[in-house]
Amino acid sequence: MLGFMRLQSMINSDWTRALPWKSWQPGLGGVLLAMAGGVMAQTEISTGIDAEAGLPYWEIHAPGMSLRLVQRLPDQTRAFFLARGFARTDADVIARSCVFQTIFKNTSQTVRPSALEYNLRDWRVRVASAVRGLKTREDWAEAWASRGVPQAARIAFEWALLPTRQVYNPGDYNWGMSVFNLPPDSRFDLDVVWQQYGARRAEVLKDIHCAPDASTPIAPTPATPAATKAP
Amino acid sequence: MRRNTLASSVCALGLCAWLVAAQAITPAGQTLPEIPHPVAAPDFELKDLDGVPHRLTDYRGKVVVLNFWATWCPPCRYEMPSMQRGWAAAQADDIVFLGVNVGEDADTVFMFLADYSVEFPLLLDMDAKVIKQYQVVGLPTTYIIDPQGRLTHRVVGSREWDDAALLKVLRGLLPKP
Repeated sequence: MLGFMRLQSMINSDWTRALPWKSWQPGLGGVLLAMAGGVMAQTEISTGIDAEAGLPYWEIHAPGMSLRLVQRLPDQTRAFFLARGFARTDADVIARSCVFQTIFKNTSQTVRPSALEYNLRDWRVRVASAVRGLKTREDWAEAWASRGVPQAARIAFEWALLPTRQVYNPGDYNWGMSVFNLPPDSRFDLDVVWQQYGARRAEVLKDIHCAPDASTPIAPTPATPAATKAP
Repeated sequence: MRRNTLASSVCALGLCAWLVAAQAITPAGQTLPEIPHPVAAPDFELKDLDGVPHRLTDYRGKVVVLNFWATWCPPCRYEMPSMQRGWAAAQADDIVFLGVNVGEDADTVFMFLADYSVEFPLLLDMDAKVIKQYQVVGLPTTYIIDPQGRLTHRVVGSREWDDAALLKVLRGLLPKP
């Protein structure tokens, strides 16, 4: 019982914060370490076509981490969420919000092991002169609750998205969707921020392109359950 | 602030390797990150695909590989065959694999099994209560639970669970004969 309470306590306070390597803030030592290790100098940013998806990707390869955003077609996203219990109108909302498959890895086991931490709320989406944040799981959860989306669909949505905050130990990684809340065919820059090797790291992925929406949105009809939902 | 600066400075001196020394790295480049201070795994009871209840404490005295997954999750699908092989290789050693499916129903998991051969128990956490107890934020996440019922390792993302070096770590948690 005591052990369970201890875990609960750690959970409530985000127990992974108890890991010693997580509590560092950038200090002079961390910066020196990063520079000494060449961490600052070897980052590569690239774009191309993802071999598996056949769609464009934008990628950061830094010592100890990699991040790849792979474009998702609105129809892919629409089909995924329709199959998991979303009404057509709600699936359309997601599909037309600029969704990317995100593969975020801590690759430091191949260089010098170090935990990696990020918070999507630190990331910034830049469109023309506007700067905005990402729409996270928690933001969407409120919207789905108010729209009466079934629980099973809401659970699938939550777990399909990239975690808002995560700690990756060496070798850890996640796949998850990132939603940039932009219209189809938009272009934007993305400020990516993470913590590793005792320092805050940031890179910019430029001119990311949301997929256009090839399908014609279907207006809900009275026979469609979704049509009875509040907008 | 002072503590953070100190930690960074210690790291700058190259003395921080111990902080991640617990990351066993196998010859295949895989890691099995340890939880620095093992804590008791929250107990739960979930039904498998046949409606049979499984309680975590039923497995006390064994090493439990507790995998949270979903059928639509690409890394989850990727690692499932190696989990099956790992289970087959280790089941004689009091090492148990439990797959906890998150948010899906039995029919969905049955359809998944048309393409994947899985013989270890697949449990249904349809309302995602158990996964929340374990503070998982991304799929797949796998915990290792020692014979005393403590969480000893946490893995985020897939691994090759039939890797001999990983299985050796699991066997190392068992009482010495």
